[in-house]
Amino acid sequence: MPEKSSQNFPAGETIEVSAAKANRDGAWLFANLAKSQEGIVLMLAVLAFIGFSLFLPSFLSPGNLLALVRSVSILGILALGMAIVVIGRGIDVSMIATMVVSVAWAFVLTRGGLDLELALVVGGLFALAAGMAIGILIAFGEVPPIFATLAAGSIIYGLGRTFFFKLEMQNVPPGYEWFSFFGRAQIFGIPVTVLTFGVLCVVVHLILSRTRFGWLTYAMGNNPEASRITGVPVRPMVVAHYAVSAIVAYGAGLILASSTSAINARLFNSTMIYDILLVVVLGGIGLSGGHGKVRNVILGTIFVGILLNGMTILNIDYTIQNLVKGVVLLLAIVIDSLINPRDEQTSQQGDL
Amino acid sequence: MTPVVEFRNATKEFRGNPAVRDVNITLQKGEVHALLGENGAGKSTLTKLLAGLYPLTSGELLLDGKPIRFESPAQAMAEGVAMVYQETNLVPSMNVAQNIFLGDEGFFNRLRGINIRAQQHLQRLNFHVEPTALVSTLGAAKKQMVEIARAVHHNARIFIFDEPTATLTPEEKEHFFVLLDRLKTDGASVFFISHALEEALGHADRISVLRDGELIVTDRTKNFSRETIVQAMVGRQLTRELYGVGKTLRKSRPPGEKVLSLENVSMGKAVRSATLSVFSGQVTGLFGLVGAGRTEMMKIAAGVLKRDFFHGGRVRVHGEPVRFRVPRQAVNKGIAYITEDRKYDGLFETMGIAQNIYLGKLIQGENPVLLTSMSEAKSQAAEWTKALNIRAINENSKVVELSGGNQQKVVIAKSLIQAPSIVIFDEPTRGVDVGAIAEIHKIIEDLADAGAAVVVISSYLPEVLNLSDRILVARQGRIVEELDTDEATEEKIIYAAVH
Repeated sequence: MPEKSSQNFPAGETIEVSAAKANRDGAWLFANLAKSQEGIVLMLAVLAFIGFSLFLPSFLSPGNLLALVRSVSILGILALGMAIVVIGRGIDVSMIATMVVSVAWAFVLTRGGLDLELALVVGGLFALAAGMAIGILIAFGEVPPIFATLAAGSIIYGLGRTFFFKLEMQNVPPGYEWFSFFGRAQIFGIPVTVLTFGVLCVVVHLILSRTRFGWLTYAMGNNPEASRITGVPVRPMVVAHYAVSAIVAYGAGLILASSTSAINARLFNSTMIYDILLVVVLGGIGLSGGHGKVRNVILGTIFVGILLNGMTILNIDYTIQNLVKGVVLLLAIVIDSLINPRDEQTSQQGDL
Repeated sequence: MTPVVEFRNATKEFRGNPAVRDVNITLQKGEVHALLGENGAGKSTLTKLLAGLYPLTSGELLLDGKPIRFESPAQAMAEGVAMVYQETNLVPSMNVAQNIFLGDEGFFNRLRGINIRAQQHLQRLNFHVEPTALVSTLGAAKKQMVEIARAVHHNARIFIFDEPTATLTPEEKEHFFVLLDRLKTDGASVFFISHALEEALGHADRISVLRDGELIVTDRTKNFSRETIVQAMVGRQLTRELYGVGKTLRKSRPPGEKVLSLENVSMGKAVRSATLSVFSGQVTGLFGLVGAGRTEMMKIAAGVLKRDFFHGGRVRVHGEPVRFRVPRQAVNKGIAYITEDRKYDGLFETMGIAQNIYLGKLIQGENPVLLTSMSEAKSQAAEWTKALNIRAINENSKVVELSGGNQQKVVIAKSLIQAPSIVIFDEPTRGVDVGAIAEIHKIIEDLADAGAAVVVISSYLPEVLNLSDRILVARQGRIVEELDTDEATEEKIIYAAVH
């Protein structure tokens, strides 16, 4: 796992430490920030925030800030699931399909006479089964993750639209007031959605940094073949990754449905999945796997949130918003590969 | 006579750390100049400066007496510098002729025309390679020929060979040196990096020894001997047997219990009905030329590869027949395979030393939500970094920043922390500096003394002779000879491996 460079000074090397401390002024901080993608994104986020605050009077109002955080929370939750998969050197572009189909099916079942509670369990089991099936396809069938999840996404969506429900819009069944808690309620003035994102951040952080599962995930992303030989249960781990991301997607879907009182299957055809990737990549979790932390997801979420919110207030056309997102994503990837080149020569620099 | 290449006070720093320091070296026309030194001595970096892969930090590079500054490898190539890497840079799915003319084709090409021109070119060089053969079907030596032919075609006059013989069989090596002589008589100049001292002594005109980035000595080959070279390389007197100067006489360990046996094991064309046994409390050396299937045999035992399902033979661990589907099962049975290619499947490069070693421990047991932490990793790994004497600038360094020897020790520690009873070392000292070789040999000896069954796969004969209590020789996917350490000689082993 990448450590902050500032922590890398050992106690013994006093000369270097004191030199670093002497230089710890603004310029040094700036130079250090500019060295990592994370730092660049952080600076851009701060710049965007200041810029929007200065030029958009409505941006800084508490109401808008709350709306901002709330609107990106769901994106952030989905990105947490994606982050686990990406750190393990995979990618899951089937998340939205799993999300809409499992949630919509649960609603359809409820309207068919099942209790919502029971229907939600069924929906969850469906998401779990879908995630595990994808994982098995990738781990045992050795299909590249991008193809497996791309195909699986279409299959899941197609299955849902053919057998489970016909209408795109599936409303939350009436008579279950408690269901709106996740999307609408506030605790101490903070929306439950935001709190859920916060709690999930802590949970995922603990999983990644404090459990065996997390450590082995980093190991697999770092070097799959070495993991295998060392004895990491690579295949069960892969299945677990996709199962977790499917469950996370289901949870995000429930919150989304709760806040808007409905789930729209058309989300599958939207750019949402690319927004998730935008958050993950922009935050600094490299697609090559093996590095990145929860704070990268938070950073990416905040930056994307500011960007989207600002553009919405500016009343920029949706198409142009997509254009901007695309350009930002490309820039992030280019900067990432410039800062962290992964070609043979640099990896050989170890044995000069 | 103006030297073809001259470095004047050449210095190259990486993030402030000098890799090459104030080096003055020349290369004359028609000369083979061997560069020797431990890993990390700066020989690769020096040649990469010449090949335009890195710019000089300070100092000068002169070509034919004129100062030059390479901005890119392409520029160096245009000046006639060709670097031949250990792993060849050929396109495996194209044929020989296409590879030779790669980057030099016309807008429209006729395969036949290229084949004919390649044929002529290869004949002029007296290389016996079929121009229409696919590169992926060629052996290592032929690939090297193609690479040289390509360099000559691109008008190269300065060749850099980085460990050219590492992957070659003895016969191919001979052939390689014939090629080298041919290049020389054609007026080419050659820098030649090698770990095998006898090659430098036998084929170079001059030898330079580097240590810690500095040039220690440059002289005509006839003024060197093995001892003086080794001394210059390590800067201290070293046990003689390390480089096979003399074999220490010691009692071989008696075999203990038979813990691992392969019975008529087959896997495709690589392993054909191999039978061997490994006993606890001793070191079993497994020698064979590249392609003899020795790595594959041991990888089958360790579950990394799967033997044929039908007529695949039998593997027994502690007398019990096993068929491993994944390495994890073998690891749980106490078998550790320590890879020959640590970059590919040994290290977690961007992780720290402690994390790398601790991962070996972490995979044991079943509970996935087992809590762990960095301090736990450090305390678990501390014992092993100390026991194996793993040195780093600081404890948070990523393993990719370590020297080859320390990387190898990290890989070893990662396996030994699992307390295996059967340890398989595949080329344990490949790309490892001289000091670390001695330490790794000590680790191997200690393991066997402690009662573990140790297998050492090596293509370096002195190493096999030195370490083993029993020597197995593999050829064409079979074990063809078993020798006791007392009766084994280099000649007997080579004879068995080749005939």
